[in-house]
Amino acid sequence: MANTMDRRRLLSTAVLGGAGIAGATALGSLAPEAAFAAEPVKIAPGAPDPNFAEGRVTSITGSVVLLAGSDGALHRIQVTNGTSIWKFQPTTFDKLTKGDGMYVRGVRLPDGTLAADSLWANIVNLTAHIASVGRNVLYLDHHGKRLIGHVVPGTTAAVYNGTPAISDVSLLKVGGHVQVIGAWHPDTNEISIATVYAAN
Amino acid sequence: MLQSLAALQSLLVGVVLIWSARIKLLDRRVAGQVGNSALGTLLGPERAVPAYRLLGGVELLLGVALVLPPAPVAEPVAATALAAGFVGYLWYARRVAPGASCGCLSAKATPVTGRSIGRAGVLALAGLFGVAAGGTYWLPALTGAPAASVGLLLAEAALIVALSPEFDSGWLLPLRRLRVRLTSPLRGGSGVPLLASVQQLQLSAAYRQVAALLTSDVREHWLEESWRMVCYSARYQGRPATAVFAVPAAEVAPDRVRVALVDDSTGATLVSLADPAYAS
Repeated sequence: MANTMDRRRLLSTAVLGGAGIAGATALGSLAPEAAFAAEPVKIAPGAPDPNFAEGRVTSITGSVVLLAGSDGALHRIQVTNGTSIWKFQPTTFDKLTKGDGMYVRGVRLPDGTLAADSLWANIVNLTAHIASVGRNVLYLDHHGKRLIGHVVPGTTAAVYNGTPAISDVSLLKVGGHVQVIGAWHPDTNEISIATVYAAN
Repeated sequence: MLQSLAALQSLLVGVVLIWSARIKLLDRRVAGQVGNSALGTLLGPERAVPAYRLLGGVELLLGVALVLPPAPVAEPVAATALAAGFVGYLWYARRVAPGASCGCLSAKATPVTGRSIGRAGVLALAGLFGVAAGGTYWLPALTGAPAASVGLLLAEAALIVALSPEFDSGWLLPLRRLRVRLTSPLRGGSGVPLLASVQQLQLSAAYRQVAALLTSDVREHWLEESWRMVCYSARYQGRPATAVFAVPAAEVAPDRVRVALVDDSTGATLVSLADPAYAS
């Protein structure tokens, strides 16, 4: 905990301290030639992206996660200090559990392990109609199937008509069409809603 | 009394059949949708539309015969058989083509549910009562006891509507909207959600300058006075680094977003960017 506070203080000072303001050129040339000179990604058309994996967690050993992909492929995922982990919100490695579904983006190592840059656990992206509303619960009609979406005060964000996100979800209408980014509760028809997009 | 109330069932079944036939025969949208309905799945899209129209014709003939005199007992018998057929068809369709539209009482695509099967069951039951009336016409029954008859018919019609997902938008959704208005069950939270800060930082010049260096999604975030700090992993000149953005928490001002790249191993600030106009 003290470590986290020290680290955060260091980072805050770095960005707010005002020292060492540098121009964009500190990051190298902004000329288009520099961008086009970058190595192209070597993936044959139609071939699976080697730097991506998806599946359900079958085991977690140390910082290595084994995934069973929906196409039957098995993946070894190496999680590092630099990996971003999302499970309903940005979180830490210890929150991952067996049975979580996940999408992982990273760099494939020579031994076939995927070194994870970003990892999203149980993330879902759904379009649905709001069939009914309960106490901080949306009953969603997703192509004829019923889903239960939990609103989590303080975390759930709502975007109305593409305007900046706000915390107030009370403007959602029964019968309205919504798009929901959320975290699936594994093996149920329930999700926690991270963001709900709606017209209003 | 019971005999005359049973005779009324022919009127109910007849009206429902005529309503159903009206959709099947006259609604132009239906032809395009039948292919996607359970009938299309079971018979194939080419045969579905003629079969659907034929069914509408049978429903219309039977419905008109039930409503108009004379009232031979064969009419409610045929109606009961048709309704029982619907029960079987819907039950089968739900197993074979789950999620497919029922195409029953409305052009609106409504999946086959327990409610639509229950509705066909109610019609079959009403048909059976009609058979029990034994060829009595409904008009004398209606004029004989108008209050009881109209009450019963209204109650049965309400039951049919309640069992019809097609009509939900007419009564169920307004009721639910009213309940939401009265109880306001969605409280949500207060404060600025993380997404608002991320949207703002993605619009900033600071983000555009370092975006190519970022390797991860948001790793952590916290509030620091009037700023929200948002951290990403990054690589800068081959070294792993943390990109820390300071986003104004309480206002929408992408121009004020700052970023610093901090070396992960030494803690040294590699790059710090802020709009010169706002740099302190």
